[in-house]
Amino acid sequence: MQNLDYFFIIQAWPLFLKGLWVTLYLTFWANVAGLIGGALLALCTTGPYRLLSAPAKLYIEFFRCTPALVQIVWFFFCVPILFDVFWSPIFMGVVILGMNLSAFNAEAFRAAIQTIPRAHVDAAVALGLTPFERTAYVIMPQALRYAIPVLITNGIGLFQQTSLVALVGVDELMYNGRLISTSTYRPIETYTFLVLFYLAVSIPIGRLAAFIEARSDRALKA
Amino acid sequence: MTVLQPFVWGRSMADHFLKIRGLEKSYAMGVIKVLNGLDLTMTSKDRLVVIGPSGGGKSTLLRCIMGLENIAAGAIDINGEPYIGADNGATRIDRRIQKQIGMVFQSYTLFPHLNVLKNLTLAPVRSRGVPRSVAEDRAREIMRRFGLDQKLTAYPSELSGGQKQRVAIARALMLDPKLMLFDEVTSALDPELVSEVIAMIIELADGGMPMMIVTHDMWFARRIATRVVFCAGGTIAEDAPPEEFFARPTSQRARDFINNVLHANAEPA
Ligand SMILES: Nc1ncnc2c1ncn2[C@@H]1O[C@H](COP(=O)(O)OP(=O)(O)O)[C@@H](O)[C@H]1O
Ligand SMILES: [Mg+2]
Repeated sequence: MQNLDYFFIIQAWPLFLKGLWVTLYLTFWANVAGLIGGALLALCTTGPYRLLSAPAKLYIEFFRCTPALVQIVWFFFCVPILFDVFWSPIFMGVVILGMNLSAFNAEAFRAAIQTIPRAHVDAAVALGLTPFERTAYVIMPQALRYAIPVLITNGIGLFQQTSLVALVGVDELMYNGRLISTSTYRPIETYTFLVLFYLAVSIPIGRLAAFIEARSDRALKA
Repeated sequence: MTVLQPFVWGRSMADHFLKIRGLEKSYAMGVIKVLNGLDLTMTSKDRLVVIGPSGGGKSTLLRCIMGLENIAAGAIDINGEPYIGADNGATRIDRRIQKQIGMVFQSYTLFPHLNVLKNLTLAPVRSRGVPRSVAEDRAREIMRRFGLDQKLTAYPSELSGGQKQRVAIARALMLDPKLMLFDEVTSALDPELVSEVIAMIIELADGGMPMMIVTHDMWFARRIATRVVFCAGGTIAEDAPPEEFFARPTSQRARDFINNVLHANAEPA
């Protein structure tokens, strides 16, 4: 067994940081897209219009029932050809990860919307609120609070899934880690460090999430 | 409120304040018929108490008047103007008139994510364009009038059931309704909380508010009603002033019902 040497990591540090930055960038913007997309999809599926609910359901099924890796590969190779668009790999990553997360968040929102008692909607109609006003001021604020635990779980899951886009050439943490490992011939150290690195970021994010969750819990009960 | 008041509830046509003709309502694509050609009229001086057996269609009747249900046939007019009507399968609702009817439900319907003040001001501010400061002043005034002003910043979960229902009534009053509908608003309450809610409704009644009340509380019914109607099998089976109704109901069903209710009330639980 060869000697383990972690010293080279110091030299590779800038590349790690660059990768981490891209990973966090992907996570953040894909979550923004996933929250908005998820909420809109959930409104479509729970709404009265079949013309909206049927395609939304199909979309959700599609993204939940196919492997994320396959979606990513398909998206990166086929979309530029099919639609003749050429986006930066990072932007492509945000779009496909956001589309995937939207499907999972839509389910969280849908479940939350369905726990809101029917009587609240009746009361809102009796107060003369229009469908838009009911959605904006009565249904979605409550649904968001109920859905927060699952939205956070999905969001953290996405942080880990960003590593998948390394396979299609987005130079995030995983991609740069592989670069370092092949150029230094030190895969064991590099990948061990990489795992620890993901962990070191995940744990604080998880803590922060738990804190937000506890606070929103109180807001709903209070 | 001050901003939106296009519809005038005239006094001259008091006799035609509310007129329901041939109202039909069914669920499950017409399989479950709930209202079968119900007729009912109400003047602007009336406080109508609706009693009847469970499943008789009382809630459905109020929900139809509130405009919460599609109807199969019939029409509801208010002050001689068409308010709700059935147009081959579709239900037409005049939203202008609907906005001037308030309803309070059996289950608690305060929005849990908003405090009491925000529950009261939501509809005036967001839907009727009332400036927030004006709406908040009015909310404070109404809450003071009903002895609830300590609860303005409380969240619904911090209120007792009786307080929740009183705030729900106050929330409806914020919109200056010309007709109030109460559907068993005390049925979910612990017995010791019933009287504060009833007292609030009586105060409103004494102020001249036209109302339609579904209740199983016969004391309350006698106290507040100008007319009692017996609703069973989706029609009005009896319609009389309270003294007459309770003394000698003409239909057998109403007689049986009153005997049962009075008997149940007399029995210790
Ligand atoms: N949403 C619904 N779907 C199907 N049936 C309903 C629905 N709401 C009420 N019903 C039926 O309509 C009938 C009348 O109900 P309701 O108006 O609530 O009676 P009441 O208030 O007099 O007890 C009952 O038989 C009830 O089962
Ligand atoms: Mg009922």
